[in-house]
Amino acid sequence: MKKLIAAFGLTLLIAGCNATTPEKPASLKAQYEVALKNAQAAVEKAAAVDGEWRDIRWKKSKKRYLPSAIKAAEAGDYEKALKLLEIATFQAEAGYKQAMEQKNAGPRF
Amino acid sequence: MTKPTKRLGPAATALALCIGLVLSAQASADDLEAGKKIAFDRSKGNCLTCHHIEGGPLPGNIGPPLIAMKSRFPDKAKLRAQIWDATAINPHSIMPPMGRHRILSEKEIDLVTDYIYSL
Amino acid sequence: MKKILTLLLSAGLMTTAMQAVSSPQEDLEKFRLYYEQRFPGIQLDDFGNGPYALDANKRMQWESMEEFPPYEEYVDKGREIWETPFKNGKSFASCFGEDPSKVRVKYPRWDSKTQQVVTLEGDINKCLKDNGEKPFGWKKGKIAHLGAFLGYEARGQKINVVIPDDPKALEAYEEGKHFYYAKRGQLNLACADCHVQYPGQRVRGQMLSTGLGQTTHFPVFRAKWEKASPDGDGMGTLHRRYGGCNKQVRARPFKAQSRQYRNLEFFHTYMSNGLEINAPGYRE
Ligand code: HEC
Ligand code: HEC
Repeated sequence: MKKLIAAFGLTLLIAGCNATTPEKPASLKAQYEVALKNAQAAVEKAAAVDGEWRDIRWKKSKKRYLPSAIKAAEAGDYEKALKLLEIATFQAEAGYKQAMEQKNAGPRF
Repeated sequence: MTKPTKRLGPAATALALCIGLVLSAQASADDLEAGKKIAFDRSKGNCLTCHHIEGGPLPGNIGPPLIAMKSRFPDKAKLRAQIWDATAINPHSIMPPMGRHRILSEKEIDLVTDYIYSL
Repeated sequence: MKKILTLLLSAGLMTTAMQAVSSPQEDLEKFRLYYEQRFPGIQLDDFGNGPYALDANKRMQWESMEEFPPYEEYVDKGREIWETPFKNGKSFASCFGEDPSKVRVKYPRWDSKTQQVVTLEGDINKCLKDNGEKPFGWKKGKIAHLGAFLGYEARGQKINVVIPDDPKALEAYEEGKHFYYAKRGQLNLACADCHVQYPGQRVRGQMLSTGLGQTTHFPVFRAKWEKASPDGDGMGTLHRRYGGCNKQVRARPFKAQSRQYRNLEFFHTYMSNGLEINAPGYRE
């Protein structure tokens, strides 16, 4: 029981510290790393079914959400990076879904 | 400025103000203008690719002309739904799903809906 | 009794199987009939003239343009490329045969050895590589000039894509067909949405051409490409155009000569079997 209380106290302490430390970017960075992995996986999944959209990462797109997110993170702007990753992930998932829905598309006159 | 218009000036302003007041009951003139801009913009709504809209240059004729919308869509929510995802109503529709595919943001769709509704 | 039953049953099974996948020939018949009914009075070969077959005004402008066609100088350049020997002394004739008028009609073709669709552009670059020459770029420039010459020489012959009775060839055809009819990109549009559902109607100021006859005049000289080119060379290949039509619906375009585009070309050109080759064409 004592142990439990101590552990509880410790977590509280850590959580409390975390909330008050000014080093917010550290947790943003962690969020970014997870979000990047998710986005990359979603994009590969869409590409594998030929469902990738234009503005995710294609070299001639003006938006290139995925590479732009990586660039923003490299410049330390994780908030911007997360926003861009959210769009990239949405587009990748929507492209995959679209390809699945269109699996049986065929002549219709 | 020629004389007649000069004299008309104040009257016109008053009239414009009146109209503005009437419209603001629904959507402000500014909002309608913003909605129109989004509807015409090639990288936004690009509705003119397929629809004739009063005052829009080089309209296409793939979809029906967007006129008298209040009589065709008495329920504004239905109009918004058509713009948000035309394929929910007709799965084969050529009209891009503006909301479902986030071609426009929710706010932009509100503005476009108000504008189209005013036609 | 039992026999009759099984016969009936298998007949039933067969018809359902046939409904699932129609043969290329059946697809072609339905495709052609659809456009012929939609545009009565237009001659079959005229569908190869795209929007100019469908609109009298545009046709007049185009006909006056055709009196001094801007693609002519590129046909001449292509002829030069055809005739210029490689460093090893051989020339394109060593790969394609002596008669340049007999080349274009063979493409796209199914290659049973490599089990894939081979395009004219593919064989042009293969010929260059096999002879120790540097291959051309895929979408414009020399490859399109040579294509323009070979198309010009073949004018009047009928498109004749052969889909052999090989499951792999049919699979490639089916993939190309699916590509044409599947919605893609953020704007959620299929090739067929524009070119089957709405030909003759306008997107903005542009009139949509029919899917029928859409490949007979490639490579094409496009005024839009002319403007974008530093030296006014408006020539481009079919896959350049495919890329353009994918981009505009906000889908990521595939590479020229990718499997996807070669299979699309296989289906797309097969649908125009029996139409005259009228390459190179001019388009806005
Ligand atoms: C690619 C062509 C295309 C584009 C772009 C397009 N539409 Fe449409 N729209 C259509 C077609 C076709 C219809 C007919 C119904 C259908 O097939 O879904 C239609 C139907 C409509 C209708 C219903 C009209 C009625 O009377 O039933 C409205 C409203 C509408 N569109 C608004 C818009 C707005 C607003 C935009 C721009 C944000 C837009 N459309 C962009 C093709 C298009
Ligand atoms: C938004 C509508 C739209 C969609 C979707 C679309 N295209 Fe097009 N396409 C056009 C327009 C507009 C032109 C130029 C006018 C014309 O020739 O039809 C064109 C031209 C072409 C041409 C050249 C025709 C010529 O006469 O030179 C080809 C080939 C073509 N499209 C193929 C495709 C293929 C393949 C797809 C699918 C990957 C596709 N298009 C999707 C609108 C569309």
